[in-house]
Amino acid sequence: MRKIAWLALFLLVATAALAHVGSQDIYYEGNAGPYHLYVTVHMPQTIPGIAKVEMRSATGGIREIHIAPMALLGSTKLSPVPDLVQRSKADPQFFTGNVWLMEASGFQVHIQADGDLGHGELGVPGTAMPQGILPMQQALGTVLFVLMLLLAAGLVSIMGASAREAQLEPGVVPTTRNVRRGWIAMAAAAVVVAVMLILGNLWWSADRRSHLMLTRPVRLRASLQGSRLVLDLPDGRVETRRGVFVDWQRFLGINLLIPDHNHLMHLFLVRSPMLDQFWHLHPTPDSRAWFSASLPSLPAGHYQLFADIVRITGAAPTLIGEIDLPEVKGSDLVGDDAGTAAPPVSAGQDRTVSELADGGRMIWERDPGPLKSRSFLSFCFRVEDKDGQPARDLEPYMDMAGHAEFIRSDFSAFAHVHPMGNVAMAAVQLADASLDANTPQLTASESSMSMHIPEVPETPAPPSEMQMPGARSGSEVSFPYGFPGPGTYRIFVQVKRRSHIETGIFDAHVE
Amino acid sequence: MERVSTQAQTHLEPPASIPAGKQTLALKHTSAIPWYVYTSFFATASAVFGLYWDISWHMSIGRDSFWTPAHLMVQFGAVLAGFSCAWLILHTTFRGDAIAKSASVGFWGFRGPLGAFIAAWGGLAMLTSAPFDNWWHNAYGLDVTIISPPHTVLLLGMIGIQVGGLILALGPMNRSEGGARSRLEKMFLATGGLILIQIAMFIMEYSVVPLQHNAKFYRAVSLAVPIVLVGIATAARDRWACTILAGIYSSFWLAMLWIFPMFPASPKLGPVYQHITHMVPLWFPLLLIVPAIAVDLVRGKIGTLGKWWQAILLGTVFLSVFIAAQWPFANFLQMPAARNWIFGSDYFEYSIRPESTFVHHLFFPEEATRAEFWQKMSVALLAAIISTRLGLAWGDWMRRIRR
Repeated sequence: MRKIAWLALFLLVATAALAHVGSQDIYYEGNAGPYHLYVTVHMPQTIPGIAKVEMRSATGGIREIHIAPMALLGSTKLSPVPDLVQRSKADPQFFTGNVWLMEASGFQVHIQADGDLGHGELGVPGTAMPQGILPMQQALGTVLFVLMLLLAAGLVSIMGASAREAQLEPGVVPTTRNVRRGWIAMAAAAVVVAVMLILGNLWWSADRRSHLMLTRPVRLRASLQGSRLVLDLPDGRVETRRGVFVDWQRFLGINLLIPDHNHLMHLFLVRSPMLDQFWHLHPTPDSRAWFSASLPSLPAGHYQLFADIVRITGAAPTLIGEIDLPEVKGSDLVGDDAGTAAPPVSAGQDRTVSELADGGRMIWERDPGPLKSRSFLSFCFRVEDKDGQPARDLEPYMDMAGHAEFIRSDFSAFAHVHPMGNVAMAAVQLADASLDANTPQLTASESSMSMHIPEVPETPAPPSEMQMPGARSGSEVSFPYGFPGPGTYRIFVQVKRRSHIETGIFDAHVE
Repeated sequence: MERVSTQAQTHLEPPASIPAGKQTLALKHTSAIPWYVYTSFFATASAVFGLYWDISWHMSIGRDSFWTPAHLMVQFGAVLAGFSCAWLILHTTFRGDAIAKSASVGFWGFRGPLGAFIAAWGGLAMLTSAPFDNWWHNAYGLDVTIISPPHTVLLLGMIGIQVGGLILALGPMNRSEGGARSRLEKMFLATGGLILIQIAMFIMEYSVVPLQHNAKFYRAVSLAVPIVLVGIATAARDRWACTILAGIYSSFWLAMLWIFPMFPASPKLGPVYQHITHMVPLWFPLLLIVPAIAVDLVRGKIGTLGKWWQAILLGTVFLSVFIAAQWPFANFLQMPAARNWIFGSDYFEYSIRPESTFVHHLFFPEEATRAEFWQKMSVALLAAIISTRLGLAWGDWMRRIRR
């Protein structure tokens, strides 16, 4: 059973790695019934592992909160026994708890809040995957090494005693011949033990290599054909730890993906090293490759690629790639494609104001004080028209008040953030659907193995200006997020005004 | 090794007058089963039952506190074996009478029965595996696979305790006759049955029903089982020893299959894909009883043949009879008629996805071609023969154990 489970784990991990890049924690803002919650899920280093969940309620009156990890597909009927979270003594609106994540896949933290205003539920979706291997502490390594030597020497000595004396009748003193036999047995046992240790070490090393492979993002092969960018899955096949070969197509085939904001892929091209070109495109399935997209006109340079997709299970991996482009004479942007040239990323001061093409501005309403990593922050951006007045012409951009991309200047971290958090909208819809107890469970014919696409809850009609998710007011948009670590980050914020997509550019320095 | 001879002579009574290798001391109390044979048996039983319970706990409830009763039973087995053997060694070394010392071996200045040192080694290996395994879970994730380096150290430790227990019984058993011998042989075979149960748990990654039409499954069983069956049977005098061992395994496995679901349980971890209301047992036992009977029938008639010929015959009989029994029985286990409490084909752990081959009672073929299947089956036959040959050698060695 474990064998198949391991294969399934591999498949899931291989296709889950990595949701975002270098930025695994989940930051989410939503309503559990009448209670407005800000939720942070600190993801574990390994899967299975323990995720730490922090919740702050903007609404008073909560008596208790229970949390449980659940699959994105399915219903709350299959929830494990929920855990009661702890309320902070210093801050009664702040709660913390843990959930075990047993599977590398799309998941949700099912939150149930009860209080003066009644009962409310919220599903916070995410993608669980191992992020690396923890090193062994030196003290523990020393203790284990000594124990290993002791066990090895003990085994050799036991074999010696066995050959020397164990077969003698009680009372018989070992002869020289017996003693010699003991020595020979010890020498043979020493060889066997040494071989076992060498083989064990090889096994451990192979295990480590295959595990590390699972923690790395899937690397796309990108090429340019005319002005079209062609994306292919990695070459060849991947060997799992059990020696089973898997084909990338089998796990990331087009028919295993579901649309997110009506697109199967959101591709971000960012020119390195200065992050001075940013393009958000939506490649389409390509009959001769995997995906391809028409490029706009681009200056030559080395571009980093980040491709967001959502699997049928709700897992939302970000695939990476890079390409050297000559100057491209491309086509005009169409649909939801957008992008801009940008000033080089600033290593000095934060950039909090971004000029827009129509003479207006986008302003980051940054709280004073240093930015701390791994903390829940609400990033609020105000859009002004060319007269300095709050813009009244914001429209939904792919059903959202806005989209933001947070990229560390060394490209080691990337996150595509929406006004409800750094999660894919398709995963949110799956989580919402699963909270309805009447939701039918995933059947075999709908499963990923059978390559059918389950019905994703219908995308709601574009909300009006004031109803747009994340729209604080008609001219502001906010995003919950936490930086994964210290460094310089560039933030691209995209909003839509009068059918035109504007991109704001900001820089942040994080302690 | 002069020191060994000197030490032995110093401790033995009467030391100086016995020419080396010529005389033996008459042993008293040979009719009683020594206390350490009982403690070793209970330590082994505790560890094996605890392991089964722990696996079921993980399948039904998931990862839980270290202090679950299942974990405690495994640890109790290690502690009981370790402490009782440590006591036995220290007592023999410092307080032992001439009889006890004469029936002991030397090890780093200590004296005790060989089995005590092996079991103590096993206890130390089990203790070593605990921090190693804990680190492994933190570094790689919990139980990504059963067969991991720390679990292998744990398994070696458990095997150490069990083999130590076997050999603790063997010393007095091989020195006894009549009723005492018979009683000790019963303890010996009971311990052997526990070893077979544990071996079956260790290869369960390969032996679940959807894999039972794969050559890899037969290869795993051929590697792991004949050495235990034939080895222990060779050391015993009972002509139905293999059958008894397989019977103990089958009885335990069936009892657990029928008893565990009586206890309520629900998952504490997620995601949950199966609705769990009770403890999930492991599946129906492998039909090892059938080849065990065949091996017993054949081995009684080929005692005069050379060891390699015996191995070829017994290994071939084991594998062919096992395939003849298990292959069609696997078909039955996949049928609706087996989805009941007797055969337990509808028990799934909470984390099994609904689209899994388990849930749909489908076989999961791993060999891509017929040629690959037969190539692995050939390896399985070779494995059965070599495992049997090793078992014969191990059994012969055990028959000669006196201390």
